[in-house]
Amino acid sequence: MAGKRAAKRDGEQHDEVATVVLPADCRIGAQAVLQAELSEALRGGAIEFDGSQVERVDTAALQLLVLFRRALDARGGTLSWRSVSTALNDAASLLGLARILELPAVGPA
Amino acid sequence: MGAVDLSQFHKTFFEESLEGLDAMEAALLALDSGSTDHELVHTIFRAAHSIKGGAATFGFADVAAFTHVAESLLEEVRSERRAVDTGLTDLLLRSVDCLRAMLDRTAKHQPAADATSEALRAELTELVEGKIAAAPAAAKATAAPVAGWDIRFVAMPHLLQTGNEPLRLFRELQQLGTLEVVRAFVSDAAPADFAALDPSQCYMGWELRLHGAVARGDLDAVFEWLDGDCELAIEPLAASPAEQAAPAAAPVSSAPSAVVPAAAPAREAAAAGGGGGEGGSIRVGIDKVDALIDMMGELVITQSMLNNIGENFDLSQLERLREGLAQLERNTRELQESVMRIRMLPIGSVFNRFPRLVRDLERKLGKQVRLELQGEQTELDKTVLEKIGDPLVHLVRNAIDHGLEMPAQRRAAGKPEAGTLTLDAHHEGGNIVVRISDDGAGLNHERILAKGIERGLVKPGHQLSDDEVAELIFQPGFSTAAQATDLSGRGVGMDVVRRNVRDLGGSVSVKSVAGKGSTFTIALPLTLAIIDGLVTEVGEERYIVPLISIVESLRLPADAVRKIAGGGEVFQFRGEYLPVIRLHRAFGCANAIAEVERGIVVVVEDEGQRVGLLVDELVGQQQAVIKSLEKHYERVQGVSGATIVSDGSVALIVDVGGVARLGRRSKAA
Repeated sequence: MAGKRAAKRDGEQHDEVATVVLPADCRIGAQAVLQAELSEALRGGAIEFDGSQVERVDTAALQLLVLFRRALDARGGTLSWRSVSTALNDAASLLGLARILELPAVGPA
Repeated sequence: MGAVDLSQFHKTFFEESLEGLDAMEAALLALDSGSTDHELVHTIFRAAHSIKGGAATFGFADVAAFTHVAESLLEEVRSERRAVDTGLTDLLLRSVDCLRAMLDRTAKHQPAADATSEALRAELTELVEGKIAAAPAAAKATAAPVAGWDIRFVAMPHLLQTGNEPLRLFRELQQLGTLEVVRAFVSDAAPADFAALDPSQCYMGWELRLHGAVARGDLDAVFEWLDGDCELAIEPLAASPAEQAAPAAAPVSSAPSAVVPAAAPAREAAAAGGGGGEGGSIRVGIDKVDALIDMMGELVITQSMLNNIGENFDLSQLERLREGLAQLERNTRELQESVMRIRMLPIGSVFNRFPRLVRDLERKLGKQVRLELQGEQTELDKTVLEKIGDPLVHLVRNAIDHGLEMPAQRRAAGKPEAGTLTLDAHHEGGNIVVRISDDGAGLNHERILAKGIERGLVKPGHQLSDDEVAELIFQPGFSTAAQATDLSGRGVGMDVVRRNVRDLGGSVSVKSVAGKGSTFTIALPLTLAIIDGLVTEVGEERYIVPLISIVESLRLPADAVRKIAGGGEVFQFRGEYLPVIRLHRAFGCANAIAEVERGIVVVVEDEGQRVGLLVDELVGQQQAVIKSLEKHYERVQGVSGATIVSDGSVALIVDVGGVARLGRRSKAA
């Protein structure tokens, strides 16, 4: 998760885009690790989430992503999704956070 | 993985739910007997509500659905829109039974709902909905003009730590109606620095709109557990079609199927995780645990004191060493007592089921019974407690079915119409004694005797004392019911009661006075794990005789023992002839004393019958921790277990009743 300097190349998997793979169990117990990883990623400008492996997710996880998104916006960074699992999508939709997180349609992007 | 596995809480949920059901039952019975205390209704409602909430949390949908309907009905009672009558309490009591069965099936990972529960649920639903149709003021009627609710829900930072999960709340809301998230936002309280924020705190808030004719009560129920964990504002939605039609910013699919895939694996995992969990748990009062910790403290002090003495020991300190050892012994004994006390539970938990049983029997038999419970606080070992329930139920049933007379008969006999049934538990010596007494007709001697003769238990023309006649009812296959009712006399007789009690190391006996009533007395050991015993020597082996059953130990002259016809031996003891059982012969011990005058006879008593056991010598008194022979070896007639005596060797514990039976058999042979 090296935060390499990112040139803005939206959506593409590129060297300059830092990719963060969200863990299968994204629930509150995994937050500290995820937070550290995200803080690191925040140093770059363009972040790509890979949410394909997420099986379990809770409000704390989604909140962390929302807050990350907010912090990223403040720095002028960009967020994109490589893919989103059904579980992640369902939970985000239920909490009305899909739009804030700019979730794409379900399935590999 | 730091994920929370819900299945670890299942056991607690079941325990609490069963307790809730007990409370519900008790309150329903109180209501049934004419109490108008409104708090009772609240108790019943709260119990139902907690079970519903818990069941929903753990995904026990059938249980949740059932309690939901029951709760709706109770809500009407609570808000005084429905009066309590016998029909209602009957229905609710049946619901309690049904829920117990459902929880039982759920715990065994079986489907909770069955035909009975579905029928009952339909009955409840009908009652709830029927009421609505009849009285427009009822729940749904007030909800009818409401097209939905606007909900503003802002989490307090500690929300997630209380175990409340907005995802679950939203799912519950989804089940009530169509949920739309108008706006989700991060509160101002959230720290701006991402790296510094605490992910276990919740900074989210939502503006929600729930479409549909949802009752306010249902809505409140969803948020009930969040009291103090969030800011909540709920406003009814004006019934404006335009607003309803407006497509939402982020409409949530109301299809619950979208949620199911995520929930299903969790449920399977739970089922797998709780598979072998029949271990049983116990709830212990904090005072008992504290006492234990105190005791540990004392033990540590004693240990360090002994250490001190041991480090540079010389004979001048002998006295201090003795003191220390005495203290150690005292500590150990107290510790043992405290640990045993942890297993002790008040017998009230068993007594509590009787008001219901008595009520049902009253209805069924047309008798009037006044139930008196005494000594509910008396504590019993948990294992004993669990196993004494059925024998007690049987005795109570018998007392009402056979003992108490019909009101008319009682009036004719000059007794009050309502019979009195007393359950009383208390300590007596080293035993717990439970008495079940009624003021009914007493045992019918003629009928018992006639039946005994018919069954070949008594020879015709044989004279029997009252006690001997009473003893007949404990014989296998004996049932006195003139005609078998569906309550008693279904093949489970008093012999089974006696066997169950005997398995617990206890005894049961009966005293009866014609026209005045009968009293059944069950004596139980305080605990199954430790006995006070007399260590005896037989040949090269040691046997422990439970102190409780010992009447006296004596040395007999050779001519005191007489041979009787049939090969037995008897001796005279306080005016009666008792059989002598030579323990060395019963257990086949080598090199034992065979001459009566050189050995010692220990007179023991079991269920009113006395026998003399011939042993070589008495060694001393000792507390014995019973180790099950059955578990480590196999069941041996006449032996109730084994223990380790102070010199490290193994001694067998004599099962007095078993040896007495063994003796009788060898005499007969």
